[in-house]
Amino acid sequence: MRVELPDGSVRTLDADGIPVEEVLARLGVNPVEVIVTRNGSLVPEDAVAAGDDEIRLVRISHGG
Amino acid sequence: MYLQRATGRHLCAGHLAEEVEGRVRETMAADGMPPRGSRVAVALSGGKDSTVLLSLLHGIARESGGLDLVAITVDEGIAGYREETLRAATATAARFGVPHRTGSFADLFGETLDRVVEGQEHRACSLCGVLRRKALTILARDEGADCIATGHNLDDEAQSVLMNWLRGDQDRLLRDPLQPGQGGFLPRFKPLREIPEKEVALYGVIAGLFSPMPECPYRHTALRGEARAMLNAMEQRFPGTLERVVQGQRTLARGAAGGIPAPVGSCARCGDPASDHLCQACRLLDGRSFRPVRHR
Repeated sequence: MRVELPDGSVRTLDADGIPVEEVLARLGVNPVEVIVTRNGSLVPEDAVAAGDDEIRLVRISHGG
Repeated sequence: MYLQRATGRHLCAGHLAEEVEGRVRETMAADGMPPRGSRVAVALSGGKDSTVLLSLLHGIARESGGLDLVAITVDEGIAGYREETLRAATATAARFGVPHRTGSFADLFGETLDRVVEGQEHRACSLCGVLRRKALTILARDEGADCIATGHNLDDEAQSVLMNWLRGDQDRLLRDPLQPGQGGFLPRFKPLREIPEKEVALYGVIAGLFSPMPECPYRHTALRGEARAMLNAMEQRFPGTLERVVQGQRTLARGAAGGIPAPVGSCARCGDPASDHLCQACRLLDGRSFRPVRHR
């Protein structure tokens, strides 16, 4: 699966059918600190990501 | 689309929005703020929290008819950051048809934040906070506001509690944050104070309110960054930590005998409440090209 990180860089993970939370864990990202989209739609971290999904992580920017 | 980790509930966009709106109303009702017929200065930085705040208060004002809003934006003079958020703030105020007042550190105090922090960048965040609070008060009073609404969320509140512990600031730890306005300061209220930062962000995305904004270049210098990292790590492992930290401090403050009284003196330079000869802001700018503004 293709994962776009908050800094805009892209990682490719060799994984299929794993929870988004595990994707985040493999990348060292805390789910509390990011919003996740799967193929353009917002998903919770217990949603399952497939091998051909495009995952995007958006850091919740600080300062209001 | 959202897993509320503290409760284990899954929420769709519609239900998340409803829940955020409902909790904000409950918070305002519980705080008794703002009083009906108030003129409310909404601190609008252009970031996600204050944008969501203005959107929510605009909706409430439109329904109840008893609120008069004015948006206030403070330009601290942080190069490469504030310009973009100012544009966002202006666009947001215009979108909701709310009058918008801006004021800069340079105009109010004779200095930009970048100049104030030269040589002491590690203190940038706390220096900025003191002066921004002063600037908001000056501008809000000038606009005839009765109170100020700020966009502090649950994460901000928990971080502040932890920072006070780490600094050993017992005065702040024992002060009830929900006490009504202290002395001559304009009363402030924080409608988003019980909403996790992630839910504020999701609400903004659902409502189509904003695009990603730049982050303050001084954020890495701040103790708050360390507190945020610690609390987020704890929140991930033990959902509900943020809420318990905030509730715990509130309970502690209410249990402390009478709490800690608010400052009772007046600043010799600007007249604002102060526990010392000068208020925090005037002490900070002492010796610089500060133009004090007397309010009385």
